[in-house]
Amino acid sequence: MEEQLKIDFEKKLKDFSYSDQEKKFRETNFKEFLKKGFPNRKLENWKFSDLNQIIKSNIGELTFYNDYKKENQIDKIELISELEHNKIIIVDGKIEKIDFKFEDKDKIEVLVEQGEETIKENINSLINLNNAFSNKFCKIIIKKNYSLKKPLVIYHLTNKNTQSKNTNSRIDFKLEENACLILIDIFKDNSEKNFLNIYYNFELDKSSILKNYKIDKSINNNIKYSYNNVKQEANSISETFILSSGSKFFKNEINCDLLGQHSSAFVNGIFDLDDENHHEIKSNINHLVENTKSYQLVKSVLEKKSKAVYQGKIFVSSEAQKTDGYQLSNAILLSENSEFNAKPELEIYADDVKCSHGSSSGSLDENSIFYLMSRGLNYKEAKKLLINGFLLDVIEKITDEDIKNLIKNLLGVKE
Amino acid sequence: MLKINNLSAKIDNKSILQDFKLEINPGEVHAIMGPNGSGKSTLSNILSGKKGYDVTGEVLFENNDLFSLETEERAHKGIFLAFQYPLEIPGVNTNVFLKTSLNAIKKARGEKELDAIQFLKLVKEKAKELKFDEEKLSRQLNVGFSGGEKKKNEILQMSILNPKLSILDETDSGLDIDALKTVADGVNALRKKNNSFLIITHYQRLLEYIKPDFVHVLMNGKIIKSGGPELALELEKKGYENIN
Repeated sequence: MEEQLKIDFEKKLKDFSYSDQEKKFRETNFKEFLKKGFPNRKLENWKFSDLNQIIKSNIGELTFYNDYKKENQIDKIELISELEHNKIIIVDGKIEKIDFKFEDKDKIEVLVEQGEETIKENINSLINLNNAFSNKFCKIIIKKNYSLKKPLVIYHLTNKNTQSKNTNSRIDFKLEENACLILIDIFKDNSEKNFLNIYYNFELDKSSILKNYKIDKSINNNIKYSYNNVKQEANSISETFILSSGSKFFKNEINCDLLGQHSSAFVNGIFDLDDENHHEIKSNINHLVENTKSYQLVKSVLEKKSKAVYQGKIFVSSEAQKTDGYQLSNAILLSENSEFNAKPELEIYADDVKCSHGSSSGSLDENSIFYLMSRGLNYKEAKKLLINGFLLDVIEKITDEDIKNLIKNLLGVKE
Repeated sequence: MLKINNLSAKIDNKSILQDFKLEINPGEVHAIMGPNGSGKSTLSNILSGKKGYDVTGEVLFENNDLFSLETEERAHKGIFLAFQYPLEIPGVNTNVFLKTSLNAIKKARGEKELDAIQFLKLVKEKAKELKFDEEKLSRQLNVGFSGGEKKKNEILQMSILNPKLSILDETDSGLDIDALKTVADGVNALRKKNNSFLIITHYQRLLEYIKPDFVHVLMNGKIIKSGGPELALELEKKGYENIN
């Protein structure tokens, strides 16, 4: 793999005329990735999901070079029709379109950056890989006091002929003071056996609101990793909801640094898994100042040989008094071979805090099934009703009504 | 309507019902009384199709072999069990559940399903009759309901589904006297020429409000005595031990 990496990286440097700064940034990240390789179970964060093994057994040999000069056909793409939205279309890691057609043009700025001056230490190797190979570093700034009129949907698409490739995409967002963004990630895969690596940075200035809904519903054989790095100033709110379902493997990692007082982070998710799918949510909520709040709720419904992992970390620094941190996960295992792993981590250095965690897993309650069947529902209907009921309270955590209904429709939850 | 012939039931090789016989005709109300552990709940579970019992013998419901029918098919045919301990179903709205249930039964019978407006009209009417707090209908099924409210909810379901044979498994336990009267009124309102009831109870109390046509005493899995309503009074006086 190392040889392939080197060939592909050199080809990339040759084909694109990067500035010295960008070239240096990419090279440094590339070297870091070569040194670290794909994450494996020796790393605590990856002990339930050995990505190195997962790539080997599902994809085999990966290639890393993508021809970004060629245009992708995007006019035939099936878009969400239920709600009006702005859109960014990414095909095989290349941003093909950025369209804020519902918004005031002077309130949104789109920049192309050249990579950071300094490289942060201790970031995971997939961020290095992303920095080395992603097409462009795009930054979107939402201006002060502006709330987008419609949500922004980012479509992550893959082409049919793309196979055994790694694609990388990165977008940075800055929400200025009191700005508000609803961001929906939709994944649609026409390809097989690829590794998609997605990296978002969010800077949330004072009193800004970010709502990010990630919807992985359509069935595909790809392997995905997504990393949200969120920095939050005072009174800002971040809400992340993940519907983790369709991909072969998907790990969503959310890092929230609560840097300003009265900032809050919400991470909620559903694992709705079948076959041998293996998904993970890893959160790091860092309470770094006084009076911050975090809330996490993850529910899983696991069929066949599927496997879900939830590693939720709440870190409370010694300054972060009056922290309110909560996390809960519940799983229904529908088969003897399905598996749920929860690893709650609470690392607390302040003494006046309210933090709790809980986790449960079990099978569907047969007595409840019998009760519903005795009222005329067949087994399938009874099971569906119970599962919908089980998932309802996490769906209710979605604060945007349109998205809530969209998710309900996707899951077939009726009211 | 219901014919039970030589029904024996075992659970984990422990015998619970032995050569149980009972016949219920259309319009009749039968009460089964018996001490704890006599097999009362087993009988209601078996009739409504709960798994986990080894059974022999025969049960016919309107000449259908009951054991060849799944739980939901028995409901479609008109058997209803009011549970001794109604279950709490988190996340499932009571109204949604009632409508799903009623329409599943209607669909199976080839009848026209009710739309939302027709259903709400029906459920409001029935809730009013049973003095069931309408606000509770928009809550999650039985979640946070008191014991009495759960039992009333069973009777509400019964009156909406309008079954041919209703089995009431200790519906009176845990009810205060007002709730008991309301429940009894609900049952009496459903008493018609073709609707039959099997009322399972410890105490004679409920039978003051719902007058049974027949009373049977169940002990150690067998009916040891049958009679009219007066048998319930006798039981109350003498106790189960001295009934023979």
